[in-house]
Amino acid sequence: MKLSARAKVDLAGYLWVSPWIAGFLLFMLLPAALSAYYSLTDYPVLEAPIFVGFDNYTRMWREPDFRDAALRTLLYAAAVVPLSTILALVLAALLCGGRRLTGFLRAAIFLPTLVPMVAAGMVWMWLLNGGYGLINQSLALIGVEGPNWLGDGPMVLVSLIIIALWGVGHSVVIYEAAMREVPPSLYEAAALDGMGPVARFWHVTLPMISPAILFNVVTLMIGSLQLFGMPAVLSKSNEGADPRAFTFFTNEMFSQAFLNGQMGYASAMAWVQLLFVLALTGLTFAVSGRLVHYRGG
Amino acid sequence: MAAGAAGFAAFGPRGARSRADGRIVLDYWEKWTGHEGAAMQAVVDEFNQSQSRILVRYLVTAGIDQKSMIAIAGGDPPDVLGLYNYNIPLFAETGALLPLDEAAGSAMLPPLEAYARAIRPMLSHPDRSGRLRRWACPNTGGTLALYYNKSLFAQVGLDPARPPATLEQLGDFAARLDATTQGGRYSRLGFTPTEPGWWPWAWGAYFGASLTDQPCRRALIDSPEHVAAFRWIRETAERLGPERVNAFGSGWGNSYDSINNAFLAGQVAMVLQGPWLASVINTHNPGLDYGVVPFPVPASIADGQPIGLVESDMLCVPRGARHPDASMEFIAFTQQPLIVEKLSTAHFKNSVLAQVSPEFVAKHPNRGVEVFNAVANSPRGFRAASTRQFPQIRSKMGSLFPKVWNTDEPVEDLLRSTNTEVQSLLDLEYEQKARRGWKGGA
Repeated sequence: MKLSARAKVDLAGYLWVSPWIAGFLLFMLLPAALSAYYSLTDYPVLEAPIFVGFDNYTRMWREPDFRDAALRTLLYAAAVVPLSTILALVLAALLCGGRRLTGFLRAAIFLPTLVPMVAAGMVWMWLLNGGYGLINQSLALIGVEGPNWLGDGPMVLVSLIIIALWGVGHSVVIYEAAMREVPPSLYEAAALDGMGPVARFWHVTLPMISPAILFNVVTLMIGSLQLFGMPAVLSKSNEGADPRAFTFFTNEMFSQAFLNGQMGYASAMAWVQLLFVLALTGLTFAVSGRLVHYRGG
Repeated sequence: MAAGAAGFAAFGPRGARSRADGRIVLDYWEKWTGHEGAAMQAVVDEFNQSQSRILVRYLVTAGIDQKSMIAIAGGDPPDVLGLYNYNIPLFAETGALLPLDEAAGSAMLPPLEAYARAIRPMLSHPDRSGRLRRWACPNTGGTLALYYNKSLFAQVGLDPARPPATLEQLGDFAARLDATTQGGRYSRLGFTPTEPGWWPWAWGAYFGASLTDQPCRRALIDSPEHVAAFRWIRETAERLGPERVNAFGSGWGNSYDSINNAFLAGQVAMVLQGPWLASVINTHNPGLDYGVVPFPVPASIADGQPIGLVESDMLCVPRGARHPDASMEFIAFTQQPLIVEKLSTAHFKNSVLAQVSPEFVAKHPNRGVEVFNAVANSPRGFRAASTRQFPQIRSKMGSLFPKVWNTDEPVEDLLRSTNTEVQSLLDLEYEQKARRGWKGGA
């Protein structure tokens, strides 16, 4: 059979993308489909799953641990997304406006994002030690008694938010790149209209980099709602502390699946998380329609 | 790339299970690293040298209960598995382990009576038909007792030869040992249940309470004994002031294995701990003059038998192990009294056996080892609830403790609320077992 030139091109294209498609089918779609099925079963991993309909989904709302972990995760995301965004914007603006040491500062801000999460967790564990940690020792120098960061339930959440802000470098780099792409002519026109630096930032910079802000907010939101590693590491810092303080949605899901042998229930949690993140992302895109300015569009 | 990965996963190497010299290779997954791992490696080496048919490979595995669960479900388990005693109910009930009493070579294992009294019940658990089966052998174990700093006792006029024998005495002695700075901050505490605070679920047992009834069908968190235990914790908090204690102890969290350990640093004069604390003492403060006694209990329930938590590390043969006979042979080797004592000594732990040699006590690096042994052999030694829900119960008790310690919510209300949550876990287990045709649902 002789293929047309167009068919040959199509076939070549499919062959080129086939490794990705095979990987997607095998390692994404199939596990996702299995997880959807398991979410409707009682599946203790070591025994065969038994179909239970939507029992796992209805059970979830009755579970105080689920509500507790979900609320803690929402609080974390609600704090981290706006705070990280504001901090990253401010730092990016300062880097854009600065002349001296910009390269060093950019590297210093970005460097924390390169530190492996577990290594960073170990460092923070000691920095935040209530008695011997550098942070409380520094606060003591100015007469402030620091809190028991990782021993006191609410302060654990605050600690994790601070750690998230420490890792803001990735967003800063994206914002800085976007800011440098803003045409200088717009700033010149704004200056001619009598705008000061703050007004220029508000009326020119922000609208022009709004696609980058949307991208960062969405990825930050998804990352925050999936928080897992850092609380898992920090929970080892104080085995006498309230274990729930370190339990976020994904940690709870992990415990149910691999510690408690409730893979069906954990799969249901995973689907609730996915649907919630999808809905929130969709809502963000819908709300952002009028706020995001795409050049040429 | 994906196809290659899939092919590698399906047909790739799995680690040699036999060698050119014909020796069967056993993979032994265990949790220990550091000096504990080295001691177990020495036992493995000794076994490998003792015969020429089997070669055991010691593989350190973090998160061993989680990873082994996946390995067993995936059909590629290790040959010997080192679990915690509280893992046994879940693994046994879901058929993840081979019953040792049925395996060929079971005759090589010591009888249950050879083990310390509180260890024995950990080794068995009912199977699906309700029949009690033996699933594990202990390789090391630890119990809890009270360490006290003799120098500090002498410093405040207490007789170091007469440590507290009842809970009431513990309170009196602790009050005498408390010390504050001129600014009113603590510089030392006699005793606080927050240090190290690793076993918040266990306090009730020192007052005669259990977390559940015997078949683990009913939660007993709000029993009068638990109320008494957590009232004692609340009263201790009220006496000491939780904010002041929390501020004083804010550095203790990750300082266990360091010179800043609260007991080693003299910040706490008495502490509830296991025999392993001697390893930390010997490393960081070998000159510390300490004593060990069974943890004091209320005079009303004291009967001379020590009460204490007993924990144990378990050796099991997972379902799907390729050479169960060889696995049994290795496990039997580890159960010899000399091996048990050698490993326990290297781990600074008490023995899991009912009888110990005079050399074990004489040469043990923990001067209180006899007390820890006595707790393991006591009829009042207690263990984790024998239910697959235990990790979740422990977590809920871990959340309960700070509420009792830090707030003024009525203790009874807090216990009732936790009891409801634990009961719902037990009900869920019952329901899930009934669904799978367990005899009597559970």
